[in-house]
Amino acid sequence: MSGQVNRRTILRGAGTIAVGLPFLEEMSGSASFACKAGESDVVPKRAFNLFFGLGIPSPLQQEGYDGVLEPLKPLKDKLLILRGVDHLRADEKGINAHYDGATAAFTAEPPDGEAKAGGPSIDQVIRHAAHPDGLPSGMVPTLVAGTFFRRSRVGRYVHSYNMNGTVAATMQERPRDLFERVFGRVDHLDGSDPRRQRLRRSVLDSVLEQYKHMVGTRSPLGSTSKSRVSEHLDRVREYEQRAYGVQARMAGAPDTPDRSMLLHGGSADPGGEGIDLTVDELVSEWRLMADLYATAVKMDRARFGSLTFLAAGERIRLKGDYHYQDRKLFAFDDAGQRQASGSKGCSHEWWHEFRENQANEALRAHAHLKMRELAYFLQALDGPDAVDGNGKTILDNSLITISTESGDGRHNDVQRELSGVFHAITGANGRFSTGQILDVNAEGLDVYNTVTEAMGASYRMGPKDRVHQPTHGLLT
Amino acid sequence: MIGCVFRTLSAGLFLVGWFQVDTKAKDVVVAEVTRGTATLSAQQHSTPSPIVSYDFNEGKGNVVHDRVGQFEHVDLVIRDQASVKWIAGGLQINSAVELVTEAAAKEMIQTLKKSGAFAIEAWIEVDEFSQSGPARLISLSKDPSHRNFTLGQDEDRFDFRLRTTKRDRNGMPSTAAPEGSLEGGRVHVLVTRGSSGEMDVYQNGHLLSHALVPGNLGNWDENFRLAVGNEVGGGRPWEGRIFRVSIYDQDLDEGQAFQLYQEGSEGEGRLSAEQIKLAEQHQFFRDHVAPLLSNHCLECHDAAIRQGELDLSSKSGWQLGGDSGPLMANGDSEGAVDPSGSLIWERVVSDEMPHERAPLSAEEKQTLYRWLVDGGVWAFETIDPAIYRHRARTGEVWVQRLTIDEYIATVKATFGVDIEDEARKWLPADVRADGFSNTSYNMSVDLKHVEAYQKLAESVVEKLDVLKFAARFGKSRKLSTDDTMREQIEKIGRWVLRGPISKSEQIDYSGVATTVASVGGDFELAIACVVEAMIQSPRFIYRVEYQRGSGLSRKVSQHEIANRLSYILWGASPDEELASLADRGGLRDVIVLDQQIDRMLKDNRAVERSLKFIEDWLNLGRLQNLRPDPERFPEWNQVLATQMRQETLDYFVEVIWTQGRPLSDLLNAQLSILDPELAAFYQLPAGSTKTQNLAGGQRVRYDLSNVSGRGGILTQASVLTIGGDNASMVSRGLFVLHDLLRGVVNAPPPCVNTTPPATALGLTQRSIAEARIADSTCGVCHVRFEPLAFGLEKFNGIGAYHQTDRHGNQLRDDGEILFPGKADPVKYEGVGELMDLLAASERVKQSLTWKVVQFSLGRPLTAVDAEQVEAIHAMCQERGGGYRELMRSLIHSDLVQKIQTEQSR
Repeated sequence: MSGQVNRRTILRGAGTIAVGLPFLEEMSGSASFACKAGESDVVPKRAFNLFFGLGIPSPLQQEGYDGVLEPLKPLKDKLLILRGVDHLRADEKGINAHYDGATAAFTAEPPDGEAKAGGPSIDQVIRHAAHPDGLPSGMVPTLVAGTFFRRSRVGRYVHSYNMNGTVAATMQERPRDLFERVFGRVDHLDGSDPRRQRLRRSVLDSVLEQYKHMVGTRSPLGSTSKSRVSEHLDRVREYEQRAYGVQARMAGAPDTPDRSMLLHGGSADPGGEGIDLTVDELVSEWRLMADLYATAVKMDRARFGSLTFLAAGERIRLKGDYHYQDRKLFAFDDAGQRQASGSKGCSHEWWHEFRENQANEALRAHAHLKMRELAYFLQALDGPDAVDGNGKTILDNSLITISTESGDGRHNDVQRELSGVFHAITGANGRFSTGQILDVNAEGLDVYNTVTEAMGASYRMGPKDRVHQPTHGLLT
Repeated sequence: MIGCVFRTLSAGLFLVGWFQVDTKAKDVVVAEVTRGTATLSAQQHSTPSPIVSYDFNEGKGNVVHDRVGQFEHVDLVIRDQASVKWIAGGLQINSAVELVTEAAAKEMIQTLKKSGAFAIEAWIEVDEFSQSGPARLISLSKDPSHRNFTLGQDEDRFDFRLRTTKRDRNGMPSTAAPEGSLEGGRVHVLVTRGSSGEMDVYQNGHLLSHALVPGNLGNWDENFRLAVGNEVGGGRPWEGRIFRVSIYDQDLDEGQAFQLYQEGSEGEGRLSAEQIKLAEQHQFFRDHVAPLLSNHCLECHDAAIRQGELDLSSKSGWQLGGDSGPLMANGDSEGAVDPSGSLIWERVVSDEMPHERAPLSAEEKQTLYRWLVDGGVWAFETIDPAIYRHRARTGEVWVQRLTIDEYIATVKATFGVDIEDEARKWLPADVRADGFSNTSYNMSVDLKHVEAYQKLAESVVEKLDVLKFAARFGKSRKLSTDDTMREQIEKIGRWVLRGPISKSEQIDYSGVATTVASVGGDFELAIACVVEAMIQSPRFIYRVEYQRGSGLSRKVSQHEIANRLSYILWGASPDEELASLADRGGLRDVIVLDQQIDRMLKDNRAVERSLKFIEDWLNLGRLQNLRPDPERFPEWNQVLATQMRQETLDYFVEVIWTQGRPLSDLLNAQLSILDPELAAFYQLPAGSTKTQNLAGGQRVRYDLSNVSGRGGILTQASVLTIGGDNASMVSRGLFVLHDLLRGVVNAPPPCVNTTPPATALGLTQRSIAEARIADSTCGVCHVRFEPLAFGLEKFNGIGAYHQTDRHGNQLRDDGEILFPGKADPVKYEGVGELMDLLAASERVKQSLTWKVVQFSLGRPLTAVDAEQVEAIHAMCQERGGGYRELMRSLIHSDLVQKIQTEQSR
């Protein structure tokens, strides 16, 4: 794999998106749909959680941009690297960081079940503060997507959680899924039969009424259940909106991307034994996902959510040459280099074997690759087609929190594993002091609450009686 | 029916005893009462406080005082003192007299109207069994024909009249107890009605009658007064002795009715101050201390590890202390302790303990301190860490969305339409969480669900013979939303939505029919569109129950129990018989309920449902995704994977359903049902075939009594593949520990390499595991689970049986097993013995109960459920320990019979 993947060759119809899609036309010049919608001077609040699996051991973080963080260097003025963030309180007995650390990423709390976090994630706290009555019509309320394979627990790959700790949205793991979630047209109306259309409308109205009743004051449900049905109602409304409200505008939507060539669903995680994958296969699919996600953001179809590049505790056996800026950095061959098949031949094992005083060559290459791919996504939000009304790019204006599951992959010291978890944030329109690497040495909760507070949220993550200790160094 | 009785305390709840309804005698039997040696529970059942209460203890005067004091003007004035006589603890009414509030009980009435539910309780003695009218015992009314309610005596039974929006101002028709049911002597009567309209009359803790009284209390007159012993204004006198009258603003359940009866007319059954204090201490231990010890201490200080010779998992271990001496300082004369002098406090407050683990938080230290100050009282003998694995979220009740399987089965049961192919294609997969894919909190919805539900609704209607379907609910084919069709829609809704539909729902669905009419459509199209709308409604897609109420638990309604029964046993909606019984209130009768359980368990849908459990529990679907290293396992292919899955399913059916054996026999039943390819893969010795081909197919049942290595679910390849290509002892051992023993194990301790070395000549999985166990840091935990897999070493990564590994190393299958909570391991000589040990283990039996109950309820079980699950387990074991018995015990338990409500705001 050399250089960047050409979006236009991968995203069939990408040109259509860029040129022909009405949303994008609206976006050009003033950047976002939101600006067109009467917010020309107001930059919309956006918050995304960007997750990568397996982490960067703390000692490697100390090397700054000279080490595995090198691919982030071109964006260093737009990033604030945070070292020394710990999630010790997230430790669940009998569970290593692939589970509890992964769920703590962006929530700073221990999991409350295999598919439930102990509290909301950063993006959702900000979303609820910024849009207590819901997002503007036509938007995907929370967009959760990713390229990943390991899936034994939801917390490994989903990184956006509702205020009650449940997953905030369904994971879109194929480019086509993501495309349909964001740009898809509901095939609700079938052409020319107006009578059938009217009846369908009537049925849908009735369905909407039933859901409204189920979340209303006379609902038989308690608050927890209501929250679930309320989500369902939101999706029905979105369905309605897609079927009727945006139908005309979606007419120029591009063709859907080709079917994914990678494994998905249960077959992507064969009994925890890992899968074989080439660098090209991985990067091609990821970049397509990253492009689609970025396009959704640029078209103001999504302001909150998460994007995952490889799951916590990911198990892949990667093969292929790895290049960065025309330099060949490494030849991946996990199974061959480890002389093992199955799970023991996976790149995951390099993290188990990390030693501070050794070269850790394979681990470094994997981590470097991850940073390169995260940078790819970030740069997609930093181009001339991603300029907001205030003249800054979406990357400048958004809060993008980058994190992972652990600060050490050896599973042999909770203190070490859940401390020094890599974090980086963007500037969020000047709120945070980018352009530096900060040793915050603080608990994740304090860091997160400082971030969400600066984003205008009064909700405090973590135990109610806990005293918040702001990490002022983050703020401008 | 089994349940337990709790009493409200200032700090929590107190278990008074277990009660059991003998389904044959239709009687309530107290199976065990642990009064005095109280066990605390965080269970939700409790007796609430009344809003008005009279104890008739005045002894003189003409006023009976309300003892609650919540409202003004609710004291009762005795209009003619000559007609009454004060007696010990009560009032004797000798002739016609009114005991009536001076003014309207307005505030009380408003409170009851707001609640929508109530209970009325009295303790009385009756001498005259010919009183009629009915003779007014308690009445909230204006005169003999205008009332909100009246509880009266109609000769030899109680009679209750209630005004609702669906009953007239005289509260007719009344709800009467069976003739001849009124007993002599001191009698406790309780009438309770929930906001859903379900009403029960209890006498001395027994359920006398049940009725559905429709409507709500919105039309209650707030100007009525409360009267005892007569109608307001007179004319319907009652004679006898009265000792207590109380009114509650919520409905009470069976356990609470029994509990109130147990307390006695003068509270003689109430707890003493000492008992209350002890109960509070037990409650505190159960809710706060046991989880704390479990999470922070038992890793090193349980019965098995006993570091420092200290076992903190048991009361006796706590009392003994460890190498460093006793844990507690001596208390003062009242048992109060100064924790600063206790060893455990010293170690914890200084963060010396937990050793090399995160220290206790300030809040946790405060908990420990409070417990020590109070004397370090234990509520039970042994702490089971497994029940604290899931943090209890009391009161958090998630509505259950139908799984894909349930959706398919519900469509089939409701319409007779097979929608399986479309549903599996269009609906997003249900994602596993906490071991099962039906975990309700995780069953979120996405746009794709909505789109799929819409397309599926259209498909169902396309496949449905609409007119034939509609004919089940009425003869009319007239598209007229004003008369017959609305009634038809109500009936269709009741069937499709699994219970009565409201007026507003009727109107809404009728609106769909109206639209059809407006575009020139016909009756058939109207029904089709109505059905299409219903199938997409939340009441079809979710299992909606009435979750609002007092904040306590309540008995589920008839349709709710019908649905629970049906989804637990069949994974589908109720059939016509069950729905009809729910309509008639028939499922309140435990004999009828048992008959229904028996009937449903004989239906093949019960078998299918149980197979969903075994498939989900063992995650058999993963077999289709496995791709073992082809060089090492060239014999692997998808056909073999399918047959492995099928072996386990067939085995389950044979052992559990055909032979009716206990669930624990799954561990060591000496048989298997195999396809030829799988039999060859297993290399079963010649002559091991015993029985015929099954169902005319290729699969053959094998008797494994004389087959070394095979026999029991853990020896089946479907389960053995859990260990991955390398037949990991860690993975297999953890499966046995977690899924069969409900054991808990912590993360690896500091400074160890968690990457195991590869096997080689002279180095087997077993020897590698033994080295880990011998290691002082690793062994603490690995000793708990790796020996569980020693017996499986002869099975390779895909479940083939060998005496040597690929390096030529001789393999072993002897070992020892350490059951959670036990101090000493038990040795076994081979895999057969290991399976026998597991099958005989009470812990394994309990774990199987927990797994089935979790799947049946669609949620992880927590410490709050532990009492009930143990009761279910005990009942199931007493009856044989089979799946059928477990289902019966579960359905009769409070976990199914009751629902935790959320307080309405």
